[in-house]
Formats: sequence, structure tokens, C-alpha cells
Amino acid sequence: MDNQSISPRQFMFLVILFTVGSSILIVPSPLAIQAKQDAWISISISVLAGLLLTLFYNQVAKQMQNKTFVQATIYAFGNWVGRFLLVFYLSFLFILGALVLRNIGDFMTTEIIPQTPLQYTHILFLLVVIWGAFLGLEVLGRSAEMFMPWVVLFLLLFIFALLSEVNIENLQPYLGDGFTPVFSASTVVIGTPFLELVIFLMITPYVKDPKTKQRAWIIGVLVGGIILTMITLFCILVLGSDLTALNASPSYQVAQRINIADFLEGLEVVIGIIWMLTIFFKLAIIYYSVSIGVAQFLTMDDHRPLLLPLGMGMIVLSIIAYPDVAYFETFVSETWFPYALTHGLILPVIVWVGLMIRGMIERKKNNKKSNSQSS
Amino acid sequence: MNVVIKRGYFLITVLLCGALLSGCWDSDELDELGIVVAAGIDKTEDDEYLLVTQVINPSEIATEAPTTRPPASTYSTTGKTLLEAFRKMTHKSPRKMYLSQLRLVVIGKDLAEEGIMQPLDLFYRDHEFRTGFYVTISKETDVETLLSILTPYEKIPANKLMHSIEAVEENHGSSHGITIDELITQIRNKGQNPVITGLLMEGPAESGTNISNVENIDAPTKITIDHLGVLKGDQLVGWMNEDESLGYNYTQGDINSSVVTHPCSEGTAGIEILRGDNNMGVTFENDEPSISIELNLEGNIAEIDCPVDLSQADVIQQLNQQTEEEITRLIEESIAINQNEFETDIFGFGDLIHRKNPKYWKTVENNWDEQFKELVVEIQVKVELRRKGSATQPITKES
Repeated sequence: MDNQSISPRQFMFLVILFTVGSSILIVPSPLAIQAKQDAWISISISVLAGLLLTLFYNQVAKQMQNKTFVQATIYAFGNWVGRFLLVFYLSFLFILGALVLRNIGDFMTTEIIPQTPLQYTHILFLLVVIWGAFLGLEVLGRSAEMFMPWVVLFLLLFIFALLSEVNIENLQPYLGDGFTPVFSASTVVIGTPFLELVIFLMITPYVKDPKTKQRAWIIGVLVGGIILTMITLFCILVLGSDLTALNASPSYQVAQRINIADFLEGLEVVIGIIWMLTIFFKLAIIYYSVSIGVAQFLTMDDHRPLLLPLGMGMIVLSIIAYPDVAYFETFVSETWFPYALTHGLILPVIVWVGLMIRGMIERKKNNKKSNSQSS
Repeated sequence: MNVVIKRGYFLITVLLCGALLSGCWDSDELDELGIVVAAGIDKTEDDEYLLVTQVINPSEIATEAPTTRPPASTYSTTGKTLLEAFRKMTHKSPRKMYLSQLRLVVIGKDLAEEGIMQPLDLFYRDHEFRTGFYVTISKETDVETLLSILTPYEKIPANKLMHSIEAVEENHGSSHGITIDELITQIRNKGQNPVITGLLMEGPAESGTNISNVENIDAPTKITIDHLGVLKGDQLVGWMNEDESLGYNYTQGDINSSVVTHPCSEGTAGIEILRGDNNMGVTFENDEPSISIELNLEGNIAEIDCPVDLSQADVIQQLNQQTEEEITRLIEESIAINQNEFETDIFGFGDLIHRKNPKYWKTVENNWDEQFKELVVEIQVKVELRRKGSATQPITKES
């Protein structure tokens, strides 16, 4: 594997972009269906849960000691059991990649270019992603640094241009239906994106400076979570919870409301750059992680020969993953959370425990050795 | 990396770009689109939709030497669904209808009485529509005639209507433009029913559709913005008059600027309302809600021919009080007609109760319109006339 490395700052940007990407489109609607006007409370709860998860992931990363998740699992459980566990982990990442690809494809074909076949949107988008993964993590990190100001700029434009459309009454009554729907809605956001953050266990070993990288990860999740909360909050403040729930991509609908002094209108596609950029980075991170994961799984020296074959698989999977949008909506609100929980929490716990046991065994061995040497 | 491989990748990229960029599925050339600015919907006798579109005539709009052709054309078709009707329109129009620039939808009276939610689905669902257009009801005329009237001053009739709605809203306050997403939210909301702008044609239809209509200095046929129609759910149940519409807009805080006329001892005074804020509250007594509306308005004396001495502070006080009484009357009339005749809560009192007391709301939400009839509403208007313009006294007053 090539010895690429990124700075903690670049890592933080990647975490932010990953957290925002695709969730920005798909999260507000299911939240508003369940939690109504309290959707922003649900998402705040999810951000807290995301921060706790990140603390845990940092512990796992510490135990992994400069190995990627794939290498560490093989190290902890041996060749066969380790690889058995990794089949689940890698398939999770691969399916996640296909779904994220489908998100952008569905969005484009619903709102912007309905006549264009889905496959071509996917192929064109994935080609750029493959190119990014081909160039490697360093290039992705540096381009994240370059594009971050644009994302921030458009977000600020989005927020300030919409301030005049805000209606505080849309948030009332607070907790009108009690806490139950608020909590049950928050699982949607915990599932996507926070449990997906498990993917960064493939990236952390390549981050320089072990001391600050933990903090970078946490700050990244926090900032990404705040952006998601703001977007959801604005959807409800501007559209009201009813229209937010009724709409397939409410954040885009909100952007249509932007009207600066009656002549700057129709900015939604410009605002759409936010999701193009964030989804690109999310997909690029997933794609890079999957390819180096598979390469390490197969003990290959280079991940690059895998890029095109994996891409073909991903495009096919993204088309057949679900037949229609209604299927997808049930999938996001019901199936994804338990699926992501299994692979984003239970699997890392198993590996974490395995790594600790392996660590103890190694230490005992070393102790015995040094004892026998000294005696 | 190997130079040959690098060149290979470059070549592949170039070839892919060529292959993928040459075919654009969604390309729409400007000269192949008919830009729809207004759409009218109604029911035909055999229960199909009648769809009328007003399409701008770009060569007339963008030219420096206009010909005698009209600046817009209308087409009409029927269909079992609106989409079918839109697509059938290509039989008559040389271009595909392009809908992103839609300014206004006019709904026929018969369809409005039957329910408007069903036809609005397409307008909300289809990606080509943006959500900022107004929905209106044609009060007397059929939609086809209404959309075929040529308007002076503004070349495109749909633009004239949109600007008129906004101008009335800003300067008089006796009407209110409602956009499609507000309308859908309010229809779906159990605690507030929508109002909708009415459009009225004045003058004979025959002359209005002819270009000569706009060649007269006083166009014989005009379209005017009428007062508000009241909906119960998605069905039109009646029309408010000017006073009631004004009263409604006062309760909603939608008055930007308005005029209050009231008689004084021997003459009339015209008061210009400049700004104001409103406050709606709900209090509960023995589990019975009562609504209070508080208005604080600021205004000027704009026109007066009463024999009063405007330099006296108590005269101004008296005018304040008379204005307050007049506005209170408007609001009371508006609430009365909705409670007694239309039996529909267009004021959002139900929504207010929902926001302030969700538990109580749960018990009444399913027959709210019945509860609304019994609701007690207290109105408190406070008017402060601060200035009287450039004249210190009524000019009819002898000094």
C-alpha cells in the first residue's frame, strides 16, 4: 500500500463533508414525518449520539495502532475468522456506496434531468469518484480543503437568503406529541450518517499526528451535525413540518424559495452545488476505503487495479438495489438503522474486544520472553 | 507512473467525454419551448379537465418594432388528467409547454366549488413547476375567456395579474395573493382554512380578446383583482366583500399600508395606515378557549374635510378613536360572516390553539369548524395618528 498521509485538518474536513453528504437530502423528510415540528430536536439528539459513537470509534482506532480496520481485524482474529467478519464490513461499505450513488442519481433524475437515464448519471458521477480514488487519499484531502470554503459560502448564502422567509410559529407546539416520536425519529439520523462513520476506521491510520486526530474527528462530526441540524431547522422554519414531510427533497424545495430583492431567483441549482460536492466527497471516501479494504483483504500491494471492476459492480448494485423510490423510503426509515447498527456498532465492538484480548496475549508472551531472558 | 499508461488514461477520458456529452437527454433549446405564464383549469361537462395555457410570444416581447400580433397566445385542451391535457396541447401549439416561469393559476368557479386539491397535485409534484406562483379563482367568467383578455400597460396578461395582486396587497390590503405551497399547507392544516384571490372581468368579452382592446386609452375590457374567496377544506364556499377582506387581512398582520375612511361630523376623513403589528393570543377559562387579537397601528391623516381644528391634541385623539372603531368593525364583520355563514376558520385560530395547547387541540381538531362557530374573539385595536402631512389644517377650514 502506498504511504499516503493527510493532516488532521484535512481529515476533519473529510469528516464534515462525509457527514453532510447525501444526508442533507434524505434526512429532513423522514424526520418530519415522524417528529413533525420537533424534527430539529430529534436531529440534535442524534448529533449527541453521533459524538458518543465517535468517542467509541476513537477508542477502537487507538487499539488498532496504525492498522486499518481490515488489517486490525485480521490481526486480532486470524486469517479465517477475521476475514469472515470483514466480509460483512466490506459489504456494508460497498452497499453504502451504491446507495449514496443512487441518492444523487435519484435526486438528479427527479428534480433536474428527468429524461436522462439513471445509469448515465451514475456512470458519469462514479467516473470522477474513481479518478479521485485512483489519485489517492492525499489528493482527496487537499481537494476537501479547497472545496470546503465553497460549501461554507453556499451554506451561508442559503441561510442568510432564507432568513426573511422564516416563520418561528412553524416550530410550535414544542414537543406537542411528547418525546416518543422525537426519539424514534432520531434513529433515522443515527443510522445515516452517524453509524456510517465507522468507515473512517479505514482512514485514521493515514492521518498524521495521532494526538490531534481524535479531536479532529470529534469536531468534524460536531460541525457536520450542526450543518444537518441547521438545514432541517430551516426546512421546518420555511416550509412548515407538513410540507417538509410531503416533499421528497425538502432542502432543495427550500432553496427554491430564495428570492433576493425580486431579481435573484432560481438559485436552487447553485445551492445544489452543496450536495453535489458533499456527496462527491462522501462517495469518494467510501470508494477509496472499499478499494483499499478489498486490497488488504486480498493482501494485494496496490488498490488501483480494483477500482474499475468495483465500480462496475457498484453501478449495477446501485440500479438494482431498490426498484422504486417508495421502496427506498421504507428502506431508509425502517431497514437501514438496524442494518447500520449491526455493522457500525456491534462489529466494531467485537473487533475492539478482540484487539484488547489479542493485546493482552501478546503482552503476556512478551513478558514471558523477557522473564525467561532475564532469569 | 508510466508515461504510456498516463497517455492511455487521458485518451480514455477524452473518448468517454465525447461519447457521453454528445447526447443530452434533457437539453431544451429556448426556441423550442413555449413559455407558459398562466394556466387555467376547469371542469368540462363530461367531467374532464379543461386546461387553458397562456404562452408568451417571444418575438413580440423582445422586439423593438412590435407588430400587431398579440404578445401572448392561449391554447386550450381537455383531458382526463391535467398531464394528458398538457401533452395534448402539442396538437395545437408548435412548441412544448415549458412551465418553470408560471406566474399564476386560475381555477374556474365550478371546479373550485367541487374541490381544488386534486388538480393541484400535478402543480406541486412535477419538477418543472416552481412554488412561487399564485393560485386564483375566476369569479364569474370562464377561465378561457379570462386568460384571453389582453391587458394594457403590462404586455403579458399574467404579469399584469401578478403585479396587480401584489400592488393591492401592498397598498390597499383588500386582497391577498396565495402561493401554491401556502395553499396546500393551509388546506392540509386542520386549524386554518385558506382564502384565495378572486379575479373579475369587467366589460364585454368580445372586445377584450382583440388587440384593439389595448389600443384604446381606456381599455374597454379589464381584469380586476377582486376580494377574497373563502375555502372550507379545498372547496370554495363563498366570497367576502371588501370590508370583510380588509378585516381578514388586519387579523393576519398582512396589512402593509391601507386606507380607512370614516365620516366625521360634516365630511369625511381619509386615514392612511402606514404600519402595524398584530398579536394573536389565546386564553383558557374552564377549558374554553377565547381568542384575543391585538393590533397596534400607526398612521397619518391623508385627507380631511371635517370642520375640526387639527392643532388640538384631543381632536387627533378623537380621530384615533374613530379609526380604531372602524377597524374593529371591519374585523368583527369578517369574523361574523365566517362564523355564521361560511362556518370555516380562515383566521388560523385553530392553529393558534394547536400551538399553545396541543392537548386541548387533540380533543377538538376533528370538528374544529363547529367549535369555531362558538369561539369568543376579543379585538383590541390601538391606532396612533402621528402626522398630518404638509397642511396644518383642513383646507376647507376658514382661518
